[in-house]
Amino acid sequence: MTNASSGPGVSRRQALTRIGALGAGATAVAATRTRGFAQPKAPITLSFWTFDNPQQRPWLHKRVNQYMEKNPNVKVDFQWFTFADLGKKVSVGYATGTAPDGFVTGDWLMPTWLARNLIAPLDVKLLGYPALDAFRKDHADAFVAGAIKDGQAYGYPLWFYGFCNYLNTKQFKEVGLDPVKDQPRTWTELGEVAKRLTIKQGNKFTRQGFKFAMHAAQWTMIQLNPIVSQVGGQWFDASGKCTINNEAGVKAMTIRASIARQYGAEDPADSIATFPLPQMDWLKERCSMFSCHPIPPVAIKSQNPVMESEGYFLPVQMAGVTADKRYTTCYGFNFVVNARAPKDKQEALHDMYRFIMSDLVDCWQATAPFTLARKTGWTDDPRVKSFPHVGEIIKAKDNGVFFPRTPIWTELADAMHRAVQKVMLNNADIKAALDEAAAEVDRATAEFKKA
Amino acid sequence: MAFVMPTILFFLVFKYGPMLWAMGLSFTTYDMMKPPRWVGLENYESILRDPIFREALANTLVYIAGSTIFITLVGLGLALAINTRGPGRRACMSAMFLTNIMPILAVCLVWRFLFHPHGLLNQFLGPLGFGRLDWLTDSALAMPAIILVTVWRFAPYFMVVFLAGLLTIPPEYYEAAEIDGANAVRRFRYLTLPLLMPVTFFVVVVAALLSARIFLMPFIITGGGPGNATRVLSMLIYETGFSYMKMGRAAAISVVLFAIVMVLTLAQMRLFMRSEEEYS
Repeated sequence: MTNASSGPGVSRRQALTRIGALGAGATAVAATRTRGFAQPKAPITLSFWTFDNPQQRPWLHKRVNQYMEKNPNVKVDFQWFTFADLGKKVSVGYATGTAPDGFVTGDWLMPTWLARNLIAPLDVKLLGYPALDAFRKDHADAFVAGAIKDGQAYGYPLWFYGFCNYLNTKQFKEVGLDPVKDQPRTWTELGEVAKRLTIKQGNKFTRQGFKFAMHAAQWTMIQLNPIVSQVGGQWFDASGKCTINNEAGVKAMTIRASIARQYGAEDPADSIATFPLPQMDWLKERCSMFSCHPIPPVAIKSQNPVMESEGYFLPVQMAGVTADKRYTTCYGFNFVVNARAPKDKQEALHDMYRFIMSDLVDCWQATAPFTLARKTGWTDDPRVKSFPHVGEIIKAKDNGVFFPRTPIWTELADAMHRAVQKVMLNNADIKAALDEAAAEVDRATAEFKKA
Repeated sequence: MAFVMPTILFFLVFKYGPMLWAMGLSFTTYDMMKPPRWVGLENYESILRDPIFREALANTLVYIAGSTIFITLVGLGLALAINTRGPGRRACMSAMFLTNIMPILAVCLVWRFLFHPHGLLNQFLGPLGFGRLDWLTDSALAMPAIILVTVWRFAPYFMVVFLAGLLTIPPEYYEAAEIDGANAVRRFRYLTLPLLMPVTFFVVVVAALLSARIFLMPFIITGGGPGNATRVLSMLIYETGFSYMKMGRAAAISVVLFAIVMVLTLAQMRLFMRSEEEYS
């Protein structure tokens, strides 16, 4: 017996199989679409926090608003805080039960959240990846290393960028240096070049050749960390003991101090730069070189329109970064989900994060030259390729060395900041200052383990 | 009783309750994420072994002593100077009092610029023979700089308190002393000072309490640096609690600070009561 509706030559089994296959296909397509940017069934309100920044925060806000337009059932309470305050606000939020459902966090704080089980594992399938391996391969290893624990992803990398040495090419030319040929590639070269660029009147620096930031612990770590790596140093040994006071640590701090002590090209006490613009001395042409994250042209324009319009700046790789020593500071930001958020909110956040990251070129255009964590999907776009100095900026990202991943990050940064201040401002003995810092860090480690 | 009950309840809930809670917390380890866990006196033992705590404690005591002494002396000096019948007295007083009503953040930022190595203060001191003074980055100068800002801000407030005290002294006393041949110094030593003793006591106690709680000035102006030179206990409490998430330990430091303030206040009370008895 044949089934009339099946048509001639097609058995009922075949017809059912085809219908089944069609049904499965349609379901799969629907599921994929649904998984794309699905709407929760019931109205839902998500709280989402991020840090403030003139480019990044407005772009995130725009994407969140676009997500809400596409998903009328979802309302996002979008809040932002200063870069330095966000981590503290989130901590207090967890303590008081008011932590957001999702937030952006610096990757250096991942161990803090992970050690306390405060962030939820991410379902990479909901982020559009078939498996964890695909998620891992879509980012540089170093970026996801801090976001993956016990075979599960906890952070969805967003922006990751490396530090460049920003040169004032006009000042280079003034002292007879070619910014391209004479760009310093080693710390000795940097000291020598900085010395030539320095202008002093009595005890007053009219212009500093190079400047390390002195205003915040985070920046102390940003600028010291690559030097420690370059000289073969480690922050901790295998047992977790702080080793910054060993020979390599002393060498790194000696290099750090040499620009002021040996070359006389920097005045650590003289700066107009403060948070949130540590690059202000460079922008105002009071120092010729500064190690910095990618600086958006709009930021240069706002402080020094002539420099921006005439383009007399050049980001190059930091001193010490060579083919075999690919160490420049690199850090980034992850989207994370609060482990205490209800499951439906966690799923909706996955969907929102996936939506936000679905237009990388738009992100680049709004936030350039802050580089994205993803390997592909943006670097080949002509709008990215045509950005001034983009090759150097991406190279700095790819040459990145990360902060030590430790749950006592803040204590480590504060201890090192104090050590740098003692060495640079009070002329303290380097070994003694590092011994004190290491002892502080070891105490903090012991207390953390005990607690 | 019914009338004062709301006030008593308010203080119990919002003042003494949290104080007792903090004291209890000081015997626990608490990272704000997991429930507090009892550790007995461990936090106290740990902070006493901590060199940063000891430095912060020493800084706090130096700051309290320095600010209290100079606030009292400058406040009294200003009050005596302004307690005249000269023209512009009220205008002078108002101008000086402005320092007290300016937002603290603005005060700190302005002073940061003044203290810059090439700032206004050094430009003023330069012609007087002073070399470059690194006010905020030299560990020997940073604490005096913070004390200077404190005195600049608070001395005019206490000037008003002293002035109120001076106005309560009957002028007949001074007339009688003058007839007896007492010069200005003796009149000040044997009349003004003893009769101002209750006011001075008030000023010293309040200035010391105010100084013990100082936070924003070192936090904004120096960030506790250079090194630990201006890190005071209240800053350490904040850092320990909110940066390092060690609430139990932060509570232990705050109990120590509370004890210091109590001891200081009681010592001053005894000292001044004895002085008053001697004068009366």
